Amino acid sequence: MVAQDDERQATLERARTRLLIGGAVFTACFLAVGLRLADLGLLRQEQDVRALQSREVVGQIKTQRADIVDRQGELLATNLVTASLFANPRRVPDPAAAALKLASVLPEFSAAELTAKLSADRAFVWLKRNLTPRQQFEINRLGIPGLDFEREEQRVYPHGALTAHVVGFTGIDNEGLVGIEKSFDATLAGGGEALQLSLDLRVQYILRKELSEQIERFSAIGGGGLVIDADTGEIVAMVSLPDFDPNSANEADDDARFNRISLGVYELGSVFKIFNHAMALDSGITSMKGGYDASKPIRVARFTINDFHGENRWLSVPEIFMYSSNVGSAKMALHAGGEMQRDFLSDLGFLERTSVELPEQGKPIYPAPWREISTMTISYGHGIAVSPMHLASATAAMVNGGLLHSPTLIKRSPSDPVLGKRVISRDTSDSMRRLMRLVVENENGTGGNAAAPGYVVGGKTGTAEKQVDGRYKTKALVSSFVGVFPSQAPRYVVVVMLDEPKGIKESYGYATAGWTAAPVVSRVISQAAPLLGVAPVDEDAPEIQRALALSLYSRVRTVAAN
Amino acid sequence: MSVRYGGLSRAEPSLGDKLIHLNWGLVLLILATASVGFAMLYSAANGDLNPWATRQMARLGVGMVAMFIVAMIDLRFWLRLAYPAYAAGLLLLAAVEFMGSIGMGAQRWLDLGFFQLQPSEVMKVGLVMALARYFHGIELEDIGRISYLLIPIAMILAPAAMVLRQPDLGTAMVVVMIGGAMFWLAGVRLWMFAAVAVAVVAAIPVGWQTLHGYQRQRILTFMNPESDPLGSGYHIMQSKIALGSGGVFGKGFLQGTQSHLNFLPEKQTDFIFTMLAEEFGLLGGLATLGLYLLLVAYGIAISLRCRSQFGRLLALGITTSFFLYLFINVAMVMGLLPVVGVPLPLISYGGTAMLTVLIGFGLLMSVSLHRDTYINRRGGSN
Repeated sequence: MVAQDDERQATLERARTRLLIGGAVFTACFLAVGLRLADLGLLRQEQDVRALQSREVVGQIKTQRADIVDRQGELLATNLVTASLFANPRRVPDPAAAALKLASVLPEFSAAELTAKLSADRAFVWLKRNLTPRQQFEINRLGIPGLDFEREEQRVYPHGALTAHVVGFTGIDNEGLVGIEKSFDATLAGGGEALQLSLDLRVQYILRKELSEQIERFSAIGGGGLVIDADTGEIVAMVSLPDFDPNSANEADDDARFNRISLGVYELGSVFKIFNHAMALDSGITSMKGGYDASKPIRVARFTINDFHGENRWLSVPEIFMYSSNVGSAKMALHAGGEMQRDFLSDLGFLERTSVELPEQGKPIYPAPWREISTMTISYGHGIAVSPMHLASATAAMVNGGLLHSPTLIKRSPSDPVLGKRVISRDTSDSMRRLMRLVVENENGTGGNAAAPGYVVGGKTGTAEKQVDGRYKTKALVSSFVGVFPSQAPRYVVVVMLDEPKGIKESYGYATAGWTAAPVVSRVISQAAPLLGVAPVDEDAPEIQRALALSLYSRVRTVAAN
Repeated sequence: MSVRYGGLSRAEPSLGDKLIHLNWGLVLLILATASVGFAMLYSAANGDLNPWATRQMARLGVGMVAMFIVAMIDLRFWLRLAYPAYAAGLLLLAAVEFMGSIGMGAQRWLDLGFFQLQPSEVMKVGLVMALARYFHGIELEDIGRISYLLIPIAMILAPAAMVLRQPDLGTAMVVVMIGGAMFWLAGVRLWMFAAVAVAVVAAIPVGWQTLHGYQRQRILTFMNPESDPLGSGYHIMQSKIALGSGGVFGKGFLQGTQSHLNFLPEKQTDFIFTMLAEEFGLLGGLATLGLYLLLVAYGIAISLRCRSQFGRLLALGITTSFFLYLFINVAMVMGLLPVVGVPLPLISYGGTAMLTVLIGFGLLMSVSLHRDTYINRRGGSN
């Protein structure tokens, strides 16, 4: 009895101790929250506010994948937080009933499909990715056990098709599949600051609008264009048509997904005379005063080289360019020799892929071995196939003073040094500006339709027959125009290419570059130049005339530009 | 006084006597705390009694009446009602499984037409009563025996598991903690707590697997809210900023910018303390904590003076659950605990919570009024 009483006493004692300890814990807890309150109220406030504000100022919601913006900061790709529906089929008590209910909210699925998914012997099955908030609400209301939502991010392209071929798109798990999304996948996936492209969305819009209107007008099967900064290689606009909406990229067909600017390689025709002339002038084998006999077509084996705008006489170097004489160009190239031609084109990057930041890159096609006949046809852009991207970046080097810059889609920071590779002399570049201006300005030039008053456009047309199954199709043309502006001190190069345009009444049946591609260049420049900060000038002003003066050295007549 | 409280089996006091000896101090404290709540609800509605303050006042009125009724009734009646109350709680929890309405992906409410009942709240009172009765009913020596603990352990785990299925991790943990606290106060041996602690630690990896994505996210966010200031960490960050922005004296009544500009979520329920601290500053926050401290101290004092084991444990259990709620809520808004949907008792807007808290205080007063009543193991007097 005594022992029991003792134990009883001990138990009561313990209960009292416990209560004291409990009370002490309560008090300690009160102390803790009290101190924390003082801590927050007096000390910690600043840093938390800063942590939050620093993010709000940038206006970024922290998401997994970084945004992509244009050079002005306009959003090209961002993320939307969505909910995705999944199920643990093992926890769904009545798959058939659940499927019936679900199908009422998700009409794209049949009840049978859903029943199959919900009765699978698995612990996880996706039902629908990226629900709308309304769908999520409705599904919540159904109250089906075993279903749950996963917070996800959906990549969104606010401008849709406008930058589809540049920005590209991601797959369902947000992995980059195409375009910048793919080439910068690792960087973007790491989150952080937005990736700023060199594109200017306004110029992009103008280029795409003018191109698609022209494609429609001439019933072309496609086309492309780009605007590139001649001094830095930054691509300001780049469009390939037809295109697609990257927000639903899986619905696009292969043709729409095909990037004609960087992946497509084409025989671009007479635009190559720019490089043929530059080579001949820079190497010193001839000068602006020199000339070649273009009185007769050249016959080599079974080929005949003809002139489209035949003058059938001796032509001076400027005349060969202005009239776009194949015969004269071929003779010029023969004079220089195949080896020099090959080396020169290689220097300009025409024999390998460009270094632009896109995974979709076409490898140029050129002859091997490099025969004499190849040397002749390549002088006027046949027998070598390159991408319009190649054309733009090499043309920039021809007019900017002679420095080749790698084309880039990433905005250059003003502090970055602009490094270029010298490919021709400043003097040669100066002659090329004058020659290209001649094509647009002279009444006999092929590129008059590219003129944009006030912006002193220069350029070169190129109309090539498409090779299909090893034969040239006379009716299937690739018509391109490469323009520069302003010619007295070029700042931008504009390339426009139309794939298989058909002649119409307004063009007198012609589908050549002067009628199809050149007008697009004119319209793009007159709209985009003000946005790019290029001020219009009086084209007849003496200083402009002096900068572009050129003697034709014609033996028929002399046309001085002034 | 010595005459009145001297005997163990004195006659049942009259109703009037009971009314006089009610803990009017406690009533006053409750009213003061609830008034703080009214003020905050008025402020949360941007200086309007609607939609929250008036309804909350009505609920306090109803709850106070219930509290007085509960307080007047003899403690032995409550002892006899303990198991039925517990059973009713379990039944309600089961009912919610089958016909509960769903809010934000979780089933927590029973719609009674006029009233949305949250059975887990009812369960908390039921559990405290049932455990108090159980420990009252066994020999003090038997508390040390494992075989005597199996039944109360099951009594805790059954409702906890059902609440967890709703799924409401926070409330489930509170239920377990209330049970654990009662075990502790009843005098269960220390080594058993140690054993349970070891088992819980061992179970963490398994438990993590069964957590819902959002629950895991909340725990991860709690570990480092700054990692995701505009995602799940948003609430905590905003709450901390609001708490801090009040400074020592606060921005003044109705002047809290964080709360009024809607930076603060759920400001009328879970985050009401934040708003209070923003508008009344550190001093206001500490004063409110002081009110709570007094309420808890009152509860402990009542239990200390009670002679029956049932009354003692009942008072302690109710005080503990009250304390747990207020502590979890306050610690949560300060970023000391993960975000769990736990209201601030007496202040947060909410009907069931208000009613159960007041019924709990009613029981506490009943314990106080009947502190000298002898109650034998079966609940009778002698």
